[in-house]
This record gives sequence, structure tokens and C-alpha cells, in this order.
Amino acid sequence: MHKYILHIIVLLFTVFNVTAQVSFEARVSKKSMGLNERLRVDFIMNKNGDNFTAPNFSDFRVVGGPNQSISNSWVNGKKSFSKTFTYFLSPKKKGAATLKAATVKIEGKVYRTTPVKITVSESVAVPRDPNSPEYLIDDNLHLVAEVSNPRPYLNEAITVVYKLYFRSPLKISDAREIESPKFQDFWSHIIKIPQLQVQNATFRGEDYKVVVWRKTVLYPQKTGKLTLEPLSLNVVIGLPSNRRDFFGGRIVQQTSRAITAEKRFINVKPLPEKGKPANFFGAVGQFDFNLIINKNDLKASESFELKVKASGSGNLKLFTLPKLTLPNTLEVYEPEHSEDVKTSLGGMKGSIEDKYTVVPRFQGKYPISPVSFSYFDPKKEEYFTLISQEHIVDVYDGPIAGNSTNKDNSTSNQLVSTENESFRFIKLIPNLRPIEQLAFWGSKEFYLMIVAPFLLLLIFYFLLRRKIKISGDVDGIKLKMANKLAKKYLGSAKKNLKNKILFYDALERALHNYLKAKLNIETFDFNKEKIRQLLKEKPLSSDDIDSFINLLENCEIARYSPATDAKMQQDFDQALNVIATIDRKL
Amino acid sequence: MKLKLFSFLFFFNYTFGQSPSVVFENANTAYNNAKYEKAVSLYKEILDQGEHSAALYYNLANCYYRLNNVGESVFYYEKAQLLNPNDQDIKVNAAFAQNMAIDAVELLPQTQLTHMKNSFFNSFSTEGWAILAVVLAWLFALFIGLYLWNKAPFLKRTFFILAILSSLLLVSSISISFMKSSTEESTIYGILFSEKIDVWAEPNSRSEVLFLLHEGTKVQLLDALQEWQKIKIANGSEGWIKGGNIRSLKDFK
Repeated sequence: MHKYILHIIVLLFTVFNVTAQVSFEARVSKKSMGLNERLRVDFIMNKNGDNFTAPNFSDFRVVGGPNQSISNSWVNGKKSFSKTFTYFLSPKKKGAATLKAATVKIEGKVYRTTPVKITVSESVAVPRDPNSPEYLIDDNLHLVAEVSNPRPYLNEAITVVYKLYFRSPLKISDAREIESPKFQDFWSHIIKIPQLQVQNATFRGEDYKVVVWRKTVLYPQKTGKLTLEPLSLNVVIGLPSNRRDFFGGRIVQQTSRAITAEKRFINVKPLPEKGKPANFFGAVGQFDFNLIINKNDLKASESFELKVKASGSGNLKLFTLPKLTLPNTLEVYEPEHSEDVKTSLGGMKGSIEDKYTVVPRFQGKYPISPVSFSYFDPKKEEYFTLISQEHIVDVYDGPIAGNSTNKDNSTSNQLVSTENESFRFIKLIPNLRPIEQLAFWGSKEFYLMIVAPFLLLLIFYFLLRRKIKISGDVDGIKLKMANKLAKKYLGSAKKNLKNKILFYDALERALHNYLKAKLNIETFDFNKEKIRQLLKEKPLSSDDIDSFINLLENCEIARYSPATDAKMQQDFDQALNVIATIDRKL
Repeated sequence: MKLKLFSFLFFFNYTFGQSPSVVFENANTAYNNAKYEKAVSLYKEILDQGEHSAALYYNLANCYYRLNNVGESVFYYEKAQLLNPNDQDIKVNAAFAQNMAIDAVELLPQTQLTHMKNSFFNSFSTEGWAILAVVLAWLFALFIGLYLWNKAPFLKRTFFILAILSSLLLVSSISISFMKSSTEESTIYGILFSEKIDVWAEPNSRSEVLFLLHEGTKVQLLDALQEWQKIKIANGSEGWIKGGNIRSLKDFK
């Protein structure tokens, strides 16, 4: 009977045990792992078994194990048992690896584990050991650079804020900057943080505590992909250890750790070329632009000030103001540049100005031509051009000048500066003439007028020559005529060459007739004295007159005196000669 | 009917307008009343009627000076000086306009000889020299004629010398006239009207910019290549500009 009862009890126990389930399973530390990581596999059974057969780790290399451990525990009178075989494995290749089934015989029954699929990926940077303090720090402390705009325009302000996120169980007792980033290709301004403050924040969806370590305003000065050098901090961390002090509190282990913010890339967009004004000097932001003049009329050699001023927000310190172009007769000194710029997290704000001091030396009106200033508004993504208004400076009381102030240049042919010369009034007499006036030089008229006198001269010359020729002939004719005359008058005398009385009578008559014809002398007042007087008035030489008178006398004398034929012939010839001579000269 | 008459009157007025001298007087009055725009339009009306004078250009330039228009002002002073180079009023006011211009170009220094030559050449205009040549030609003919006519040796000698002198002067005045007209034809001056223009070393934009010129500068126009124009300024610098607004002083418009 007792035997039966024992059997029943044993059976009951067995049934109990069977119903309490025999479990045999494979537990892996992770299901996806890097190629360089280790995998821990635990084969756990809750009943002691025999003939444990590890699977064939074809995809893995066994690095450690098998380690066997048995644990028995009684909790509330309930006994629990576990026996574990542990292997440390290292994967042989990337890809899917399978952990095949292990077998064990428990109470005469063979149990198998379910195969486990493991994904093996690329090697990870640091094989993590989740239990090490390193891992704890890595997991719970982050230094992050927050960039306000990873794709800014050139010269558009961006802010970089370095934040240190941490959460329990870490405690931070101190932090020190090891390496400050040098922002190459950026204009940078560090905004001072007077006191570090710890705030609550969420990071990657989890609660953290945060400290803003550093705020920087950056203006990219280059386009393209720019790198923000990382910031490195040395942080002293309090890490609670498993040990406890006398009062039961955990002992905090101090470790120091260098932490680096990850590298950030900024992709700087160039300013659009489309619609870029010619006078764009790189101003990016929102601006207002003015040209301010302090005097509009002044005496020569006094001075006035011109201010070129740009105000607003943007890269105020990073561009130059447009240069003034002023008439060269104004004496302009180098501009004085002043800035009143405050930099906050939003960028630079304030104003910059160039102050020109100008001294006019001569009187007159000087236009200060408007200056235009262009900027790019990155918010509206558009260029804007502002134009200052035009000013005119009226300078009175001074000398006027030619177009050069260089008075020492004595060779230059310029107006001499005159003291107090004023602007002249308009002219009141029009003196208008047609615009389309033919040029006289080179015209037909000109050549005609030039050539005409020469032609006239030629004609005159020929006329003169002919006249001379003709006048020469006239002498001949005159002589012939005189001879004719003489023949006419002396003809009768010639006939009477044999008769002395008739000859001289005829000769005398002939001389008288000739004189009558030539000198308009009447016969009645004819005497030698009168003839001489008349002949003297004529352009005759006294020899001619004498010979004429002599001839007349001869005629009178010969009538009463004996005369030879030879004498008569001689007188006749003389008469001919005298008449010809007188005739030629009259 | 009335309408017709009016339109006729209007037409009459339009085609014939007022006589230039009346317009000139009206313009002067407008100038004196500081209505410079009106004065400009009236003076231009005279130009449109095909008449001009140094006084007209001078007054027009004064109007533009009062209107602070540098380029136009300099342009018309230059034109006035072309017609009347020795007028003191024009010289003084042109200096005022030059003050207003931004560029001050120093003149190239001249040697005493060129200075004398220029001032001698400029004592008459080309036309003046041409007229002088004609007068001298007639005088030469007259003296030669007298030389031929007279028989007395003293008179003959005197007229011969006079004839030789006048022939020498004739030749020189013709050659001066010729030189002047040829230089006037080949040298074209203009006034720059563009507010600002770059002057390049070569007629392409790869070359360097030599200097900058501003409105109201007088330039000499040299060669041209496509849209590039070679210019020379009074200090002797040369360069090429592109697409600038230069008005030639030669065309009287």
C-alpha cells in the first residue's frame, strides 16, 4: 500500500514537474551586431539535463566557452533551478547568420532550442560593452552643435549653439574647453554667456538636462561646403558606482572625459547672379541708406561734411560703403569710418558711416551726385538698391577757376583764376545765322576767287604787251604820217627845187601850214617870237626849236640872197627832219 | 467755319512760328524769370528752325548750368566757343560748368613753339584764313599789274617787293587754311554724357580698366572697332570705351 502511495506521490510530482514545464532556450545578447563585436549566447534550461550538445557554430567562431553555471534558489518556499551554458562568439562574415539548435536530454526526453537568426553588419567604431562606464557616458552625455541654418547665403548670418546634454545617472561637476573651433572661412563673433545654466530639455525624444555652452554668430565668407571644426570639452563626470559608503549612499566615481561635438557641414549658397546690381559690394541683410550733408551753401575755403551712412541689420562690418564721386575741384579728405554695431544672436545690428570733410576752393555750384547702395535681402531672396537724394552745394564768395586747380603750371593754356568773378548773364543780341552754312574754304567760289586775279593778271599782261607792240607801231605810223605830211606840205617845195624863189616860198608856207595844223596858230599872228614862245610850252628841246626857227629864218634870207642847189637841198632835208622830230614829240 | 479759321491760324502759327529773334527775346525773358526749362525749349526751337549763333549756344548752356545739368551745359559752352573762341563771357561761364563736372583733366603742357603756333593759327578761323588768301591773291595781282604798268624804276621796285611779300603771305595763308581744315576734319571732339564710364586698355573686356570718366568730359574721338570707340582726353591719355553716350561737337544739332 505504502509502495502505491509513494508511487502516486512520485507520479504526482512527476506530473507536477511536467506541468511546471521544462524549458530549454537560447538567449542572445543582441540580434544585430557589428562584424567586430562579440555575441554572447546563453543556453538556459530549468531542469538539470544530460548530454548537452552545443550546436555547430558554422557562422561563428567560438571565442570563449562553454562556461557552465548552475543556480538554485528558493523564493517563498518555491525552488527554481537554472543551468546555463554560455558561449562567446564572433561572427565570421557579414550578412545573416543562424544560430542552430542545441539539444539536451532532460529526464529522458530530448529538448531543442529554436534557431536564432543574427544580422551581422559592418564593423562598428567602438565595440560597445553595455556594462562599462564608457558606455554609460557615451549613452548619456552628448555635445551637440546646433546650426540655425545649414544652407545660408554667402554673408548671411547663421548661429551655432553648442549644447551639452546629459542625464542621470551622470553628474557633471566641471567642464573645460580643450579645443576651441577656429571658424575658417567665416567671420565669427562669440556671444558671451555670463553663467552656465542647466535647463530641462528633450533630446532625441528623451528627457535630458542641457547646458548652453557657447553661442557663436557666423557670417560665411566663402561659398560651397564649409566645415565647422568640432568643439572639444573636457568634462569631469561623476559616475555612481556599485559600491556604497558607510551610510548606504552610492559612492560616486569621478572620471574625466574628453567629448567632441560632431563635425557639421554648412552648405553656403552663392548670392544669385540674376538681378545682381553693378554696385553690389556684398551687403547682405536689411538696410537703410542715407547721404547726409551738413551745409548746402557756404563760402569758399570753408568746409562741409558729407556722411554716407548705412543702418539696419546684416553684415555691417563686412562690406564697404560706396565711394563718393565729387567734382575734382573740391578738396576732399580721406573719409573717417565709424561703426556703431551690436552683435546679438540675430546678427549684427546698428549703423556704419563714412564721414568726408570737403573744402571747396572756388565758387560755383557743385552737384553731389547721388550714391546708390545695393544689398541682398536673404529673406526675400532679392536685391534692393537704395539711392540717396542729390544735393547741390552752392559756394559763394571765392575765386572761380579753370578746369584745373594746378595754378603753377604756367605752360598750360587755361583761364587764370580771377578773384570774385561771378557767373555772367546771358547774351541779349542773337546774331543768328543759318546753321547750314556752306564752307567757304574748299568751295568753288573760293577757288574761283583765288584763281580770278591770276587770270585777270594774265589778261592784263597780254593787253599790256599788245599795247606796247601797238604803241611801237604807232611811232612808225606817226613817222610815216609825218613824212606824208612833210611830203604833202613839202611836195610843192620839192617840185620847185630848181626854182630858188618858188622853193623857199613853198617851204616857208609848208612850215607855217604844218604849225597851223599842229598848234592851231592863225596866220595873221604868226611871227618868230610867238612861234618860239608856243613851241617852248611844248615838250621840245631848245635845239629842235632853234633848228625850226633857224629854218624859217633861212627861208626868209634865201629869198633875197644867192643860194646854191646844194643849199636848197640841205634846207629841204632839214625841214623834213625838223617836222618829223617835232611831230614825234608832240 | 470758325473752327476752320482757328485751325488755319494754328497751322499758320505752327508752320511759320514766330521769328527767331522774337523767340530769342522770349527765351531771355524766361531765363531772367528763372524758368530755365521753358527757356531751354524756346532756344531749342530756334535751333530747330535752322539758325544758330554763339550767343544762342551760350544762353542755352547757361540754362543747363542753372538746371545743374553738367553734360549739356559743357556741351553747349563748347559749341559756343567753336563759333566764337575769344569771348570772355563764354570763357568765364564755361569755367563754372567745368567746376561742376567731376573730372578735372589737366591739359598736356605745350612747348612755347607749339603754343605760339596754335595761337597764330587760331587768330583766324579756317574761313578767315581762306578769305585772307583771296584778299592776298587780289593784292598780289594788283601789285604785279602796277609793277608791269609803271615805268619809273622806284615804283617798279616797290611794287615788285610788295608783290613778292603778298605772294609769300598768300602761300602761307593757303597752307595754314589747308592744315587747319584737315586737322579740323580729322579731329572730332565730343562731350561725354554717360554718368560714369570705364576706359579700357584694349577694345575687349579682358583688358584692364585704365581710368574712369564722368559726365561732362571733353574727349577726342579716334578709331572705332565694332561697338568700341577709342578716345583721347586732354591730358593725352588714350583708351577704349564701350557703349558710352558721347555727343560729337561737330554736328550742329
